[in-house]
Amino acid sequence: MSTQDKFEMPWQYSFPPFFTLQPNLDTRKLQLDAWCALVLSYFRTHRLCVIDVNESQSSPLFSNTTLNRKLSPETISVILDELRKTGNLEWIDKNKRRAWVLWKSVDEWAKVLYRWAVDNGMLSTVCTFYELIHGQDTTEEEFHGMDQDLLLKALRCLEHQKRAEIISMDGNMGVKFF
Amino acid sequence: MGNLFGKSKHASRVMDHDRAVLELKGHRDKLWNLQKRVEKSMERDKNVARRLMQEGKRDKAKLMLRKKRFDEQMLAKYEAQLENLHSVISSIEWTHIQSQVLKDLETGKSTLQRINESINLNDVEKILDETREAADFQRQISDLLGGSMTSEDDRAVEEEFAQMFEDEELELPAAPTDEIAFGESGDRIPTEKGTKSCTRIEVLVPDAETSM
Repeated sequence: MSTQDKFEMPWQYSFPPFFTLQPNLDTRKLQLDAWCALVLSYFRTHRLCVIDVNESQSSPLFSNTTLNRKLSPETISVILDELRKTGNLEWIDKNKRRAWVLWKSVDEWAKVLYRWAVDNGMLSTVCTFYELIHGQDTTEEEFHGMDQDLLLKALRCLEHQKRAEIISMDGNMGVKFF
Repeated sequence: MGNLFGKSKHASRVMDHDRAVLELKGHRDKLWNLQKRVEKSMERDKNVARRLMQEGKRDKAKLMLRKKRFDEQMLAKYEAQLENLHSVISSIEWTHIQSQVLKDLETGKSTLQRINESINLNDVEKILDETREAADFQRQISDLLGGSMTSEDDRAVEEEFAQMFEDEELELPAAPTDEIAFGESGDRIPTEKGTKSCTRIEVLVPDAETSM
């Protein structure tokens, strides 16, 4: 929780025009870049992985209650599309309601997970997904509280590199690092 | 081999004991989850009991505390069960490692045996004998060659050596001509030039002695 308190919004956040998509293309580019950076750092600080488009409209990220300004759904979708172009966002469903915000690419997540396994002597032993995401040993890790599907994606990446193997058994999901 | 995600062509490296560990760890996760839930509920019950006390509802407060007490006992049970699971998981992993080490030791032993089998004791003796013979032969050659040198030849060699040494000596640099200054206390105050030639002599003299 303490990390969430520390999060500071950039100066633009208190600047009303920031919440309206600018017509001038150059200005709009700067505005979108600033929004993308803000979204990524917000998600990183709060250790969030998934954005729900409907919910996000009322989240403090896109609506500034002190200014009484908020982003229109169209603007949000423009920003999300911009993030997708830079590879920082991946739609989960076809209707574009939910998406992964990748402030770390899947590949980077895979590296973080593997490094943790090496550093904690978790090679050639089985770890459950629950243990990785909610375990007491990972509270300090960036992937603590991570979205399980994203974790699965990152582990698949490791599986592809033959550095892990995913095991699924009666709804129990686990991984063995090598 | 039962790996639901096994799209890869290589053989699965997940073994039966891994699956057993996964199952046990799954139970452990459930217990962790349960623990979390009960701890949260205890916290809530405690707060509710306090509020009921303040409102004067003693019986209901007591009921809440009794529920909390029950939860506490359950927690202790979970804890014990977790410990059990942990020890079983550890023993499985430990036993597996042991069996692997044993297997590797076995492989090592048979490798060693195979290598040893390829060595024939008779061969070793034969090789050693042959080596000795070769060494003897070499010595004979040396003796023959060494023996062809007469004492006259030896003398010639000595003479040439002495001659070479004299030639070397002739090239010695001139002794320093600078006056050596003395301080009041009698200590030598070396001039820059003087020190240089002095050191050169000091280096050369022991050299000449050793080669004599």
